[in-house]
Amino acid sequence: MWSFYFHELMRSLPFFMKGVWMTVAVAGLSLIAGTIIGFICGIMRAGRNKILRAVIGVWVDIVRGTPFLVQIFIIFFILPGIGIELDAFSAAVIALSNLSASFICEIVAGGILSVPKGQREAATASGLSQYHQLRFIVLPQAMRTVLPPLVGQYVLSIKDSSVVSAIGVVDITRVGWFTVQRIPEGIMVFGLVGLLYFAICYPLINLSGYLERRMTVMTIRL
Amino acid sequence: MISFKNVNKWYGDLHVLNNINLEVDAGEVVVVCGPSGSGKSTLIRCINRLEPIQEGELVVDNMAVHDKKTNMTKVRAEIGFVFQSFNLYPHMTALQNTTIAPIKVRKMKKADAEELGRETLTRVGLKDRINSYPAQLSGGQQQRVAIARGLCMNPKIMLFDEPTSALDPEMIGEVLDTIKMLAKGGMTMVVVTHEMGFAREVANRVVFMDDGYIVEVAPPNDFFRNAQTERGKAFLSSILSH
Repeated sequence: MWSFYFHELMRSLPFFMKGVWMTVAVAGLSLIAGTIIGFICGIMRAGRNKILRAVIGVWVDIVRGTPFLVQIFIIFFILPGIGIELDAFSAAVIALSNLSASFICEIVAGGILSVPKGQREAATASGLSQYHQLRFIVLPQAMRTVLPPLVGQYVLSIKDSSVVSAIGVVDITRVGWFTVQRIPEGIMVFGLVGLLYFAICYPLINLSGYLERRMTVMTIRL
Repeated sequence: MISFKNVNKWYGDLHVLNNINLEVDAGEVVVVCGPSGSGKSTLIRCINRLEPIQEGELVVDNMAVHDKKTNMTKVRAEIGFVFQSFNLYPHMTALQNTTIAPIKVRKMKKADAEELGRETLTRVGLKDRINSYPAQLSGGQQQRVAIARGLCMNPKIMLFDEPTSALDPEMIGEVLDTIKMLAKGGMTMVVVTHEMGFAREVANRVVFMDDGYIVEVAPPNDFFRNAQTERGKAFLSSILSH
């Protein structure tokens, strides 16, 4: 029986590949948007404007303090109630972008604040504009601190993307749900689901570890 | 060149600069000394508005630093500032440290800025360390790169905030020699330092501060031999006794 189911599962592989593609699409788009928004918000969070800092802080707390599943439901089921109609894919990308952005915001802000104050003072004293200070002095140094946890956050977001299956996005997890109804070998089916996530995440985990070691070496050299 | 008129500054309740009046002429070298917490670092950090003042007038190179509307980028481009802790950019080579501001602020061409950078680093005795990163340099070398970084903006004024206080004793000489070289070249300078031998040699005037006040202003020989105030005498005996 087991080998029959395994054979069936192998025949479903193309379906799983569609799920992989969907997961990569949702997570990929969200990470691009989340990185851009996260950097902008992180820079403002570490900036001088107190109101912006407070507003972003509240947003981060709300996003981090509520379950991701609830956030998706709010975006997918509640926003249409006030006239914002979204398909499941868009809702998933918006929700995951929002989640990633809030975490990346904190990572970036922490990195910027870890750059010693004297660096900005030296740049200010030599007449560099705020933008040039950020672009050439502060961000390059902050990136040493930011990169390893940033890549780590990418891994977390890819895994969190499995939650979007709850609103009907046919990602790897959703394909697993469908398949397990036909092939009642839960361990086998979700073993494959897990393996596919792992295959996507593993290179990033390695990259994060590599960056961590490299950045540590650079910090010692500096 | 630099003119303080009735300048006051507070950190919260703490009155750190108390009715400061001081004129520094073009080409003059002024050494500021005093016990720690006397306000001497704050005084020179006000000159390029790293610290804002709350009261009074502070005019630098005919530009009103006390006026919030003044374009400080323009003022700062004319003032080199050397920090106690060097504050070199660790991700850039010595040469890049010296060229970033000329390229971005003075809009100099990269090749011209690099030539100027090389020339200036050579002038401070670092010809063979041009492509080194700060972490590969000794403290004295780092501080000379920091001086070169300031000089590459071709400033009218150089400010030094305890430039040798973070250095090992054997490196103090090389940095002081570099600063002396500038002084003899006619640069307008304000130097916060405890190096009294240096003050005696190059300063036109010594400003002694205590508790946020300027207590004495005198030519170095007068101040060292014959301080007029009790506080000045006490300070001198405390730093000269060891």
